[in-house]
Amino acid sequence: MMAPRLLIVAYGNPLRTDDGVAWRAAAVLQKKFPSEQAEILTLHQLGPELAENASRSECVIFVDAAAGPGRPGEIQVKELSSGEDTESSALCHAISPSHVLALAAQLYHCRPRAYSTTVVGENFNHGESLSPSVEAALPALLGRIEELSTQR
Amino acid sequence: MSQGKTIVIDPVTRIEGHSKITLHLNEDGRVEDARFHVTQFRGFEKLCEGRPFYEMPSLMARICGICPVSHLIASAKACDSLLAVKIPPTADKLRRIFGLAQVTQSHALSLFYLSSPDLLLGMDADPAKTNIFGVAERNPALALDGIKLRQFGQKIIERLGGKRIHPAWIVPGGVSAPLTEVDRDAILEGIPDALAIAERTLEWFKGTMERFREEISTFGNFPTMFMGIVKDDNGVTFYDGKLRIVDASGHVVADGLDPTKYSDYIGEKVEPWSYLKSTYYKPKGFPEGVYRVGPLARLNVADRCGTDRADQELAEFHELQRTAVLSSFHYHHARLIEILYCIERLEQLLNDPEILSKHVRAIAHPNALEGVGACEAPRGTLFHHYKIDEQGLIRWVNLVIATGHNNLAMNRSVLQVAKHFVQGKRLSPGMLNRVEAVIRCYDPCLSCSTHALGQMDLQIQLISPQGEVLDEVTRN
Repeated sequence: MMAPRLLIVAYGNPLRTDDGVAWRAAAVLQKKFPSEQAEILTLHQLGPELAENASRSECVIFVDAAAGPGRPGEIQVKELSSGEDTESSALCHAISPSHVLALAAQLYHCRPRAYSTTVVGENFNHGESLSPSVEAALPALLGRIEELSTQR
Repeated sequence: MSQGKTIVIDPVTRIEGHSKITLHLNEDGRVEDARFHVTQFRGFEKLCEGRPFYEMPSLMARICGICPVSHLIASAKACDSLLAVKIPPTADKLRRIFGLAQVTQSHALSLFYLSSPDLLLGMDADPAKTNIFGVAERNPALALDGIKLRQFGQKIIERLGGKRIHPAWIVPGGVSAPLTEVDRDAILEGIPDALAIAERTLEWFKGTMERFREEISTFGNFPTMFMGIVKDDNGVTFYDGKLRIVDASGHVVADGLDPTKYSDYIGEKVEPWSYLKSTYYKPKGFPEGVYRVGPLARLNVADRCGTDRADQELAEFHELQRTAVLSSFHYHHARLIEILYCIERLEQLLNDPEILSKHVRAIAHPNALEGVGACEAPRGTLFHHYKIDEQGLIRWVNLVIATGHNNLAMNRSVLQVAKHFVQGKRLSPGMLNRVEAVIRCYDPCLSCSTHALGQMDLQIQLISPQGEVLDEVTRN
């Protein structure tokens, strides 16, 4: 069976309010994309193992939430390159999307098209629901991800 | 302590969790004392009070993102005691499979991601390179093997438990769902590659040891006792058995101890400078009752692994010293042998004719008000001890975490390394990396995964009693 051409990596902590937006988006995307077309992962954090998943994909979309900068609910999309600087990271809990892509290039000689889609959140306290601004941004987030998945 | 200077390493990098190390110098500028401080506070023993006992496995799994399965197992076993049930044989085997998969991925993380940068690039390498990227650059095959081996363990956990981190599959009385034939066959398909990776990594590691003779002789190379759970035939086990303690000569100090009676022979001491408790063997008192747990200890207390290739490697390992193998540097070697054992044992269990049985859970209400569960986590022996009331609500919890057993030994190891490598009034990254590296040998799990990639926020100053900065090491 051929590997799906699209990889969506939704990461964050679903027990920390807006940090769970990526998981919420992933649950909807699971119904929109058949498994032959897209591999959708829900993770707490990124790890080096993702380089293998990325190496089998034509397009990788990372989805997460961030505290800013920007207004709550704003969706920030950035095209990623595997050649981005990976040495400027400080102490962190996990590797970044750029690190994943760099490993995919270094170990698997693959450079998929890649994007990060980040929702600016307003509440990262304990909780399982999204704040109103992020909840309202969910349809637009899903729309952006679907747009990115069809770009060449 | 004399009025000297203090070197602080904060944070300690490439370990799980948050900690710092302080090195206290005397007036002559030589290391006089060292402390390994765990700076994070979790409070799980208190926040569980009042919760229904059956929530405990899921709650306890959240202690850690690297070894949640061990907490699931120990917690579920404590709950089994509260229910007073014997779980179905298939559930026993499935829990073991889950645990073996976790040990494999956890050991792979420790060896390949956290420690291999030092082993491959050297202790004095540029800190910007001592990470998985530096390994990938120098030896792509090694980095690839690490990723594949970690994935092998993680995928088993995901198949059985539904997700890689904090899976909720292990429950009081057994497991929540049987193993399917599809999942069993998929896991078996991955065994040959995983075995091959374990074998070649062992050969690679054995080939590097010659370069680290100085580290081997100074990294926690001192006599202590060793403790671990063993099977009835004194074989390695991660799930169930009796506790065995041997001394530095390899002679048995205590055997056949019931893990549920741990408080009869394990004492816990709180130190004011760390959130990590120190345990000790009560008959010897504190601190003479120092012992080590984890891979090095398990291979010191066990007579066999019980699988072909791991037994061959264990025999070779035991030849490293006529006594127990003492240097904590050899934790890396022991970890690799355990990976080999885990994969071989997984194959045995998956080929068991009962493994697909649908009978995987015993159902009961609480029949006891106190329960203890013990297992071998990747880092060592783990105890969960619960007391409940008549409504089944938690009233008291005590957790004795693997890393706590090693606290005394880790502190002594840091002192030994610092005394040997930190000299004079100049600090070098290599000196400080060795102090951190000895901690990495123990692969401590300080309940939170923290990885520094290359540059990390780290400043160490050597300050004279007069306040003059004698030397400074700054990273990023």
